[in-house]
Amino acid sequence: MTTKQPSSDSAVKHRHRPEGPQRHIVVFVFSVVLTLIAFAAVAAGGVNATFAIILLLVMAVLQVFLQMGFWMHLKDKGHMLPIIFMLGGFFIAGTCIVMALYWVWWD
Amino acid sequence: MTTAHAEAADGTLPHEPEKATLEGRNKVLAFWLFLGGEAVLFGTLFATFLALRNQTNEGPSAAELFHLPLVAAATFLLLVSSLTSVFAIQAMHRGNVAQLRNWLVVTVLLGLAFLILEIYEFSVYIRHEEFGMTTSAFSSAFYTLVGFHGAHVAFGILWISVLIGQLAHKGLTVVTAPKIYVSAMYWHFIDVVWVFIFTVVYLLGKVG
Repeated sequence: MTTKQPSSDSAVKHRHRPEGPQRHIVVFVFSVVLTLIAFAAVAAGGVNATFAIILLLVMAVLQVFLQMGFWMHLKDKGHMLPIIFMLGGFFIAGTCIVMALYWVWWD
Repeated sequence: MTTAHAEAADGTLPHEPEKATLEGRNKVLAFWLFLGGEAVLFGTLFATFLALRNQTNEGPSAAELFHLPLVAAATFLLLVSSLTSVFAIQAMHRGNVAQLRNWLVVTVLLGLAFLILEIYEFSVYIRHEEFGMTTSAFSSAFYTLVGFHGAHVAFGILWISVLIGQLAHKGLTVVTAPKIYVSAMYWHFIDVVWVFIFTVVYLLGKVG
């Protein structure tokens, strides 16, 4: 198998033009902004601790979604299995974290 | 800029050379399974860290120890290196071997700068803050989690450096392209883990 045949679904525009760097630079800028918001909230001090924790976690999750979606192409077609692998990994990781916190906080 | 090396059989590569062969596609898919496993591994280390982060055993606490400008610099280095590895893959998709190599070199250099900063940070903690591996449960959990991530960065630097050498010898082919693509996935994943580390370890450590 040397060349890949155009798939039936987007045969017309399948002669992919290589995608440009623009959208990746946009993701980069968003990542920088999310990072800056997180650092600024902590550096400024005086922010309510509960609010800060929620804000920081939301900023982190948003950034991870952006980077995994665009830079690792998980948003593209044909990534069902990779998404299942990663969600499975995150699910078990999350279970471990909940377990550890429950163990420590409610002993 | 002239066209790429004439290493490939008929001079042209498919647009996505990493997915042109069954072996290449299998490598990419299997690497996702590996990354799922890596997520579990880091998840257990995060769980340990979160459970033990306040057990300072009269040693320094997170709020006393961490210096945010240093962490911000490290974060920025790794974030930019993740972007440059995107550029490397885009150059690969254009078949431009020279640009591909240059972006990989930039990625490695940024990773190296991150690693040097981390080694400096750890050395300050150990020499000036009396914060060693055995100081407290917090310190052990901290060095294990952050050090494990640093070890991943070190491995990525070695791996991509070897691939740069291989690219020079063998050129860009349907055999070398999947290796480069997969190493870029690994590098992005390292940056994703760092997002959680700077959030959970450093920033939440400062919040308390």
